[in-house]
Amino acid sequence: MNKPYKIAVIDYQISNMFSIKNALTVLGFDVEVTSDYSTIMSCDGAILPGVGSFPEAMKHIKELNLEASINDFIASGKPFLGICLGFQLLFDKSNEIEDTFGLGIIPGEVKHMSGLDAEIRIPHVGWNKVQRKQLPNIKNIFDPLKKINAQEYFYFIHSFYVEPADINDIYTITEYNDYSFCSSILKDNIFACQFHPEKSGRKGAEILSEIFNR
Amino acid sequence: MGFKRGDIEKQVHVMPKNVAWCKKCVVSNQRPKITFDEEGVCSGCRNALYRHSSKIDWDQREKELVKLLDQHRRDDGEWDVIIPSSGGKDSGYVAHQLRYKYGMNPLTVTWSPLQYTDIGFQNFQALNDAGFSNLLATPNGKFQRKLARLCLEELGDAFHVFVLGQTGFPLQIAKRLGIKLIFYGENGDVDYGGDPEYLDKPWKPIPAVDTQQNKGAPFRELLDYGLKNKDYLSREDFTESDLIFYDSPSQEELDKVGIKGMYYYGYYHKWSPQENYYYCAEHCGFKPNPERSEGTYSKYSSLDDKMDGFHYYLRYIKFGLGRTLEEASHEIRDGHITRDEGVALMQRYEGEFPKKYFKDFLEYLDITEVHFWEVVDSWRAPHLWKKVDGTWELKHPIK
Amino acid sequence: MSLATRIIPRLDIKGPNLVKGIHLEGLRVLGKPESFAKFYYEQGADELFYQDVVASLYGRNSLQDIISRTAKEVFIPLTVGGGIRNIEDISNMLQAGADKVSINTSAISNPEFISLASNIYGSSTIVICIEAIKQRDGSYIAFTDNGRNSSGREVISWAKEVEQLGAGEILLTFVDQEGSGKGFDLILARQVCDAVKIPVVIHGGAGSMQHILDATKDLPLSGVAIASLFHYDFILHNRQIEGYEEEGNIDFLKSNRSLSSIDSKSIKELKLFLLDNNVLCRIDE
Repeated sequence: MNKPYKIAVIDYQISNMFSIKNALTVLGFDVEVTSDYSTIMSCDGAILPGVGSFPEAMKHIKELNLEASINDFIASGKPFLGICLGFQLLFDKSNEIEDTFGLGIIPGEVKHMSGLDAEIRIPHVGWNKVQRKQLPNIKNIFDPLKKINAQEYFYFIHSFYVEPADINDIYTITEYNDYSFCSSILKDNIFACQFHPEKSGRKGAEILSEIFNR
Repeated sequence: MGFKRGDIEKQVHVMPKNVAWCKKCVVSNQRPKITFDEEGVCSGCRNALYRHSSKIDWDQREKELVKLLDQHRRDDGEWDVIIPSSGGKDSGYVAHQLRYKYGMNPLTVTWSPLQYTDIGFQNFQALNDAGFSNLLATPNGKFQRKLARLCLEELGDAFHVFVLGQTGFPLQIAKRLGIKLIFYGENGDVDYGGDPEYLDKPWKPIPAVDTQQNKGAPFRELLDYGLKNKDYLSREDFTESDLIFYDSPSQEELDKVGIKGMYYYGYYHKWSPQENYYYCAEHCGFKPNPERSEGTYSKYSSLDDKMDGFHYYLRYIKFGLGRTLEEASHEIRDGHITRDEGVALMQRYEGEFPKKYFKDFLEYLDITEVHFWEVVDSWRAPHLWKKVDGTWELKHPIK
Repeated sequence: MSLATRIIPRLDIKGPNLVKGIHLEGLRVLGKPESFAKFYYEQGADELFYQDVVASLYGRNSLQDIISRTAKEVFIPLTVGGGIRNIEDISNMLQAGADKVSINTSAISNPEFISLASNIYGSSTIVICIEAIKQRDGSYIAFTDNGRNSSGREVISWAKEVEQLGAGEILLTFVDQEGSGKGFDLILARQVCDAVKIPVVIHGGAGSMQHILDATKDLPLSGVAIASLFHYDFILHNRQIEGYEEEGNIDFLKSNRSLSSIDSKSIKELKLFLLDNNVLCRIDE
C-alpha cells in the first residue's frame, strides 16, 4: 500500500484550520496542522490558508519563523497552495490597515477593492466564476483547473485583491461588477487562489485533488 | 389604616403550607385543585401524558364529533353553534375548524376585554375577516369598573369580572337565540389544573362550569358583599339588566332551550396551543404580539387585554403562580421545551411586573398606586412570601 | 457581472431539532438539522445559515456539535448565529467549523463588540442580523432575542452604524413576513441596500419562487435566506419521526400536513426558475 499523502496546513495562529483540514481528510489525505519547520518540510504538499488581516498575519508568521518554512518548502518543488489571505501574503506588500511587507514570493501588491470602484459592495462575497488567462507552461508542475470550465463557480469572501506585477503569473481573473481582478496565480509549483476551494463544494474538492494527487 | 380584605375568596383557604414542585413540569402544589402523586408528578402532567398516549382513539373521537355536529347542523339559515371567542389563537382554531372543516354555521361571540390592546383588536378583526359573523358585547363600563375594583380587593383578581362575563354572556346569547350547542377549546381545569373528572368527557354541565370559574364566590354573593362593604359601590350603580351577562341562565332555562353544557373541542381533537397558533397564523391572519408579553416569554397567548398582566401578577402574589409558570408547564407537557428550560424561563421572567399598562390599570379601577400595593400585600400568603432587605421574595422559588 | 446571487437555506435550531416558526414564534419540529443540511448541500445550496433560536432566551449556545458534524460532510460556507455574546463564543464556533458568525442581541446591547470582533477575525467573518418589525408609524425597529424584545433602534440608522463598526455583511429579517409566505418587504429591503455598501442578505417571507425573483431582479442583494419554502418541500419526501425522546413535539410531522400559505419548492427548482428569468445563480451539476 502506498504511503499516505501528507499535507501540511501551515498554522500561523490567525485562522481556522477546521474547514481545510476536513476537506482534505475527506479526500483521503493525511493532514498536519503545524508551524514546525521539519514537519512542514517532511510533507508531500503544503497549504498556506487564511482569513484575517494582512499585518496581523505577517506579524505571526515572523514570530513563528515561518518565512523559512514557506520559502524552503517552495524551493523543494513540491506542490504549494495559498488560499485567500494565504494567497495575498505571497506578494510584496499590502496597504491593509498600514503598509505591510508580505513574503515577497510573487511580485505585486495587495490593495483594497474600493480601489477598483468606490461604489462596489465590499467584501466581495459569494460564488463567482474564474476565467483562465494562461495555459500551464513547462515550468508549472500542475494545472489545477484542468477539469474546471469557465461556467464553474467558486466561493469568494474578501475585501482586498492582488495586482501581480508579472502578467505571466496570472492564472485566472474574475469579474466583479464591471471590474476584473486576478483570482489565482500559477507559478512553477505554486498555485494560489483568492477563492476557497475547501468551501466550493465538489468543484473545489476537484481542484484540491488535482493539486495534490498527481 | 391600610386595607384589610374580607374572606369570600375560598381558594386561598386550602393552600398546602409546604411548597412542592412537580418533577416533570414547573407547576407547584399551590395551584388550586391540582394534585401530586407519589412520584411527585402533578395531575396536569398525568392528564397530558394520557392525552399524548396511544390510549386515545382520535379517529373514534372525531366520529363522535361528526355525529354531534350532524345532530346540530341547521340548513334553515340559522346559526347552529356558538363559539365564545376572543379572536385569539385557540377560539380562532375552533371556529375555523367548525365552519370550514365541518360545515357548521357558527356565531362567534366575544365578551369585550376590559381594555383592548392594539394587537388584540387587530386579531379580533382579522378573525372576523377570515369569515365569521360575530357578536361583540361590552358591559356597562361604569359599573364594571367598580366590580373590577371589588374583585381586585376581595378576590385578588380584578380580571375576574371579565371571567364572569366571559362565562355568562355566551350562555345568555345561546338561550336568547335558541342555540343549543356551545363550543370551547380546551378544558383549562383538565389541561392546566389536572382535573381528572372531566379528562375524558366532551362536555361539562353549566353549574359545574360556574363553580370552576367563581373562586368560591358566586357572582350574586360577591355583589352583595360589595354592596354591604364598599363605599364606592351602591344600588344606584346598576340596574338588574346590567347584570344579565354576568349570570348564567338557570338550569330550567337551559333545559328549555336544550343546552346541555359546555363542549370542549380539545376532547375531540388533540389540543396543542402552539399548533393553534400556527393554524391561526396560516388561516385567520393571526399575528403574535410584536413584543414579548410581560411576565412571560411568549408572544401568542392571551394578548387582547391591557389588564391581563395583572391577572397573572396577582396570581403570582396569591399562589406564587405567575404567567411564565403557566405557559411553560403546558409547553413542557406538550414536549416543546424541557423542564430545565422551563426553570430557566421562570428564573428569568416569572413575576415580572406588568408595568406597561399599570397606569391604565389604576385609572380603570380608579384607585391610587398606594391602594394598589396595599391590596396586593393583603393577598401575599405568609407561607409563600418573606421580606428581605425591604424587598418581597418567594420563600420557595422554583427548583 | 458574474457574481451569482446566493441562495441560502436557513436552519432554525432548538437543541437537537430543526424547528420552524411563524414571525419567529413557535417551535414546530420539522426534523433533524443534519439531514436537511446534507440534502440542501446536494441540491446546490450556496451557504447554510444556522440560527439557535433559543440561545438568547436561555443564555446558552449549543450549535457546536451540529456544526462540527455538518462541516465534515458539507463543503460550503456555514454561518452560525444565536447566543454569540463574546470573543470566546466566536472562537468556539469558528473552531467547531463555522466560517462566519451572525450576531444580533449582543451587538445591539454592546455595539463595540462588532468592532472588536471584526478587528480580530476580519469583517468578512462578522455578519450582523437585524430583526425588523414595522411600527404603527411606518418606521421599523430592530428587535433582539429572536424577535422578542424591542431595542428601540431604528433599522436604517442601525444598519449604517453596524457598517461603520466593521460588520462584513447584514442579514435582514422581516419578522412581520417571516414564516407567513406573504413575500418579502421589498420597500425595507431597498432602503437598507441603499443605506450601506456592505453585502445585504434578506430573509423572511418567501412563499413562492416568484417572491424570490421579484426581490433578486430589482435589488442589489447579495443573497436570499430561505426557510419555510425549502423545509416544507423537504418534509414532503423526508419525514423523520424517530429520535425525539430528548425533546421535541412531532405531532405536526406525524400528521403529514403541509403549509397552505407556502408553495414549497426545492433549491434546484428555484435556481432553474431564477436562471430562466435571467437571475444569475450557481447550478451544481
